[in-house]
Amino acid sequence: MADDIIRVESLRRDIEHDLRDPLRRRILGRGGSPEYQDRDVFRSVDGLLRRAFDDPESYALLPEFLGPESEWRLRPDFRFSSHRRFGGPLVLFVKRRIFLPLVRWLYEYTVDNFQRQERLDTALIACIEELAIENARLRRDLERLGQRLTPAP
Amino acid sequence: MKLACVVQRFGADVTGGSERHCRVIAEHLAAHHDVTVLTSCAQDYVTWRNVYPSGASRAGPVTVLRFPVARQRNLKRFGDMSQVVFTTESSPEEQERWFVENGPEVPQLIDHLREHGAEYDRILFWTYRYYQTFFGLPLVADRAILVPTAEEDPLIWVDIIDRLFSLPIGYLFLTPEEAELVQARSLRPLPPSAVIGFGIDPVPAHVTSAQGVDLSAAGISDPFILYLGRIEPNKGCETLLEYFGRYLDSESAVTHVQLVIAGFPNMTIPSHPSIRCLGVVSDAMRETLLARARLLVVPSPFESLSIVLLEAWNQGLPALVNGRCAVLQGQVVRANGGLSYRYANEFAASLTYLLTHPDVARRLGRQGLAYIEREYRWPHVMRKVEEFLTSI
Repeated sequence: MADDIIRVESLRRDIEHDLRDPLRRRILGRGGSPEYQDRDVFRSVDGLLRRAFDDPESYALLPEFLGPESEWRLRPDFRFSSHRRFGGPLVLFVKRRIFLPLVRWLYEYTVDNFQRQERLDTALIACIEELAIENARLRRDLERLGQRLTPAP
Repeated sequence: MKLACVVQRFGADVTGGSERHCRVIAEHLAAHHDVTVLTSCAQDYVTWRNVYPSGASRAGPVTVLRFPVARQRNLKRFGDMSQVVFTTESSPEEQERWFVENGPEVPQLIDHLREHGAEYDRILFWTYRYYQTFFGLPLVADRAILVPTAEEDPLIWVDIIDRLFSLPIGYLFLTPEEAELVQARSLRPLPPSAVIGFGIDPVPAHVTSAQGVDLSAAGISDPFILYLGRIEPNKGCETLLEYFGRYLDSESAVTHVQLVIAGFPNMTIPSHPSIRCLGVVSDAMRETLLARARLLVVPSPFESLSIVLLEAWNQGLPALVNGRCAVLQGQVVRANGGLSYRYANEFAASLTYLLTHPDVARRLGRQGLAYIEREYRWPHVMRKVEEFLTSI
């Protein structure tokens, strides 16, 4: 009876496969890379991008080089202070009551764009890391092959 | 055993997945144990306004001790703290402050745990994200069992959480994916745990055989797909509407298919002849919708367990779920009860497939029902809970 079960994973793979070819033809029709004439090349590129975009957080090496998060992360929480003994309270009042609401409005107005850009950046970094991994693996295989082909002295 | 169940809100009229989970588990536990529910006087989860009277009362087989909320949630301060905690490198003090702002702030419940915690054999805490668990569990960690109902949302990655997750003596999880997630965030290997899920009663014969509510009066006609639950962007509804709109524009769209949305609306639904938004519906309407829909769509990106998905399978309805959510993806694969999507084109292709292959769709729904029979009937769920409680 187990054979009668419809396995959703294989059903999903079939649906993905059926989607990929029309997409490839559409991209070729729009003047995409001629390399996509080759279905296997397209499948490989599609797979690479999919892995990077589906789970960008798992590519953790490159973000390490960004340095401490506190140096580059946008901090929307403002803490105001003034060193002026006279006039300081007035400056703080203007900053808190006029400047802060204005900046907050601007931040809320643009935050969707920031988040979209951050998502894209993370995915692109994941793509680069995936390509670097693939490149390292190919170089290692090439070196091993070279050593095997080099005649012993 | 003398058991306490600690939860942010409690009551038959309280909506919310973890609250409902706590209530039904507590009621089932009361068949063999002395169960007291420790909770707030709040009814809604936005303001935590005191509605129920404080003090002791009975709710069916359980005793309920309600404690007043010291102050309502200030949404602006909570929003500001969320920005600090979720988008920057925040300090432990700021993270602790987030739990205060999130509420419900029930200091008397915390005092009760401090003074009377030792009187209970085991204390079960529902959800890790609220005040009562964050400040209450450490006081009774030697007898605390956490039912985290954890999801892959930003809170799980906040630094202070790993300390909380290393405290309880046991865990009850809703799915294997949730167990993996919590293990990944704990400082040490997890203590004994069990994946219990949620119990579902078989659909009564009078429901399956009844004609149900007249759907045409609500402007609904076959074929339609169904979304049930809170209607808000966090539940993936915005994305669902966008993907469904793109599906309708595609060449493969099945003619006259409708998207029917039922639940409490927390966002605006665009007016469209193919989209019917019913708002909150009666139980009879809900059952009729589940019985007549072609499939249930679950677009939520964050879930610890989708109860509505279990209810759909309980009626033999196949599902189309957001594959980006590990829990939904895991549930669908384990049940072989539907399809999943990640992108708009996958949503369209999967929807077309299920609508144009009704035999396959029906079989997927039946496989979902068989999964419910195997894993989610109350006797099976409570046997796992009881075995766990006696084993630790």
